[in-house]
Amino acid sequence: MSNYIIRRLIQAFFVLIILSYLCFSILSLMPGDPVDVMITSNPKITKEDITRLKKLYGLDKPNYVRYFNWLTSALSGDLGYSRVYKIKVEKLLGERLINTFILSVCSLVMAVTIGIAIGVYAGMKKGSKFDYIVNFISYGLISMPSFWLAIVLIMIFSIWIPILPAGGTRTVGDNSIVGLTSILDRIRYLILPALSLASLQLGIFVRYARSAMIEALGNDYIRTAKAKGLGPSRILWNHAFRNALIPLITVVTLSLSGIFSGAIITETVFSYQGVGKLVYDSIIGNDFNVAMVSFMISVAMILTMNLLADILYGVVDPRISYK
Amino acid sequence: MSRVESKTMIQIIAGQFMEHRLGLLGAIVVVLFIVTALCAPVISKLSGHDPEAQNIYGRNLPPFSRVTLSQDAKEEALEKVLDANPVLVKKIIATFNKHKIITGGEDELFELLHTITPDQINQISNIDQEEAAKFRQIVGSFSKTHLLGTDELGRDLLIRLIYGTRVSIGIGIVVALAAMFIGLIIGSIAGYYGGVVDIVLSRIIDSLLSLPLLPLMIVLAAVDLKNIPFLHSLISGDNESIVKLFIILVLFSWMKVARLARGSILSIREHEFILAAKTLGAKDITIIITHIIPNIVAPLIVAISLNIGESILNEAALSFLGLGIQPPTPSWGNILFNALETINQNPILAIAPGILILLAVVSFNFIGDGLQDAIDPKAIKR
Repeated sequence: MSNYIIRRLIQAFFVLIILSYLCFSILSLMPGDPVDVMITSNPKITKEDITRLKKLYGLDKPNYVRYFNWLTSALSGDLGYSRVYKIKVEKLLGERLINTFILSVCSLVMAVTIGIAIGVYAGMKKGSKFDYIVNFISYGLISMPSFWLAIVLIMIFSIWIPILPAGGTRTVGDNSIVGLTSILDRIRYLILPALSLASLQLGIFVRYARSAMIEALGNDYIRTAKAKGLGPSRILWNHAFRNALIPLITVVTLSLSGIFSGAIITETVFSYQGVGKLVYDSIIGNDFNVAMVSFMISVAMILTMNLLADILYGVVDPRISYK
Repeated sequence: MSRVESKTMIQIIAGQFMEHRLGLLGAIVVVLFIVTALCAPVISKLSGHDPEAQNIYGRNLPPFSRVTLSQDAKEEALEKVLDANPVLVKKIIATFNKHKIITGGEDELFELLHTITPDQINQISNIDQEEAAKFRQIVGSFSKTHLLGTDELGRDLLIRLIYGTRVSIGIGIVVALAAMFIGLIIGSIAGYYGGVVDIVLSRIIDSLLSLPLLPLMIVLAAVDLKNIPFLHSLISGDNESIVKLFIILVLFSWMKVARLARGSILSIREHEFILAAKTLGAKDITIIITHIIPNIVAPLIVAISLNIGESILNEAALSFLGLGIQPPTPSWGNILFNALETINQNPILAIAPGILILLAVVSFNFIGDGLQDAIDPKAIKR
């Protein structure tokens, strides 16, 4: 087992390195390096100035040299400055990471509890009207573009019935909000983004929970338990549900990467100040250092989640062995 | 002994599919979408709406609103037609003089544009002559009904959605087909040859599948094609954004098909009929195309239909972020993107494209699901 984990970690490390190089090269294809930006804002600049500046920032060197420079300084802790915010990248990241973490956890908890409860119930009542309706709705949720749901939620809850804010992370410029009220304030801003982010995963969880439950209920040991004369609730919870949980754990861990991808769109629609919005803003705003770092963070997070899913799978299901 | 009617595989699958109610529903909706997309120019011509015609006096109108052109615009429109066809002018004037609608020359004709009454329109409609019909048509084009209202530039929303269907469904289908070809080729190579080739290709497939797609797509979509001379020379200015989006989507959607092809080929490769073909001297490519691929057609079709849905969603997401299809070309995603700023005044602009995306993706997913059940031998009821 530990061998397997170490091998996967080494693999993930190489994937990260390759991806960071790829991303670096792709980002350098974006229109305009820092000096080009300076040129457009300063008509008096001379040719000599341009070459001098390009040399100063190492922009005249080939791509792989620049990448190596970036990598060594990034690994030694210097992530560079943001061109847009004019502050160090690491200062920009801290709060954003926490915000995204809160949003992801909230929507995940929401999707897991509601999704599994509904899915298991639908699986128990397979073929009923409830099952049919749940199936239909979960299909709809999976196929629904999350940004559209976000827009509809904004329209309903902040325009037609104005009870929730349309976007943002917290009320800005009001110093009287402290302590408990500030937490409540944050929650008000969290509800709509978390809902729209949870919708896709909710649909997936319902479908998986339902089919896992149906499969578990069809096993021979259920029949044996019935023959032994066990009560229906014991059969359901101790025998069927616990076995149905195995595939669900993987689905939940794998969905974490989906949530993170989805956060880019959701955070952008709600202008929620998280890493996802940072990825988008930095790429749109041509903010090289920020784009690079936030992109690497999202990739690393997703790779970690995938690894976690694989490991958990082995832990909960003793039939799977890693060699 | 009772006779059992024999059925071909396709008949069995079709029969099974017909029983899958949601799948059938999905198929009907998809056919409707495709027909609408193909007929977009015809619809545009018949209704007189142009997807790119702006009207600054009729922005963000609610559904079912009628818009009449300003006096200047009316005269301009008539002049345009008349300039192109001087013979027609004389005919119209002659006919109208005969029927006592106007008395005089061209000036009177232009005057008529402003003073025309419903009675006169009826009278003109009753004249059974080509030039009268033409004039009636010109007058008719002055006032239009916008069934779904207009967007932030006064363009008709319905016709833009119809043209958007072309782009969105078109991209979905083309991407899925292209991804299928690439996936088939790579998957077949990996599965058929095995060994090092297989290991390398499988690793690539696995790592691409485990990547965060959306951030990667956003990074790629932001690339300025002018910095890649090779690609830039291939793409002409107008549809640059469409081609770019197509490349990005294909780049990240062939892996599932490749995995499927590889897996199936691994098991089929060991069958006797492959050995027989080899002994008879068949080339590798012949074996793959004539003996292996027909065996995986069924799961392939399922994968394609699911892939189309996914591509439509991805296109919409990228266009919605402003990185996909660039205006004025309409796509469901960028109509939504533009709608964001006016959701206060014009909610239908945001609701309608979303419903279409949802409908299209659900339909393709239903089809995929229905096909899956239909081709699953365990599910076949005899």
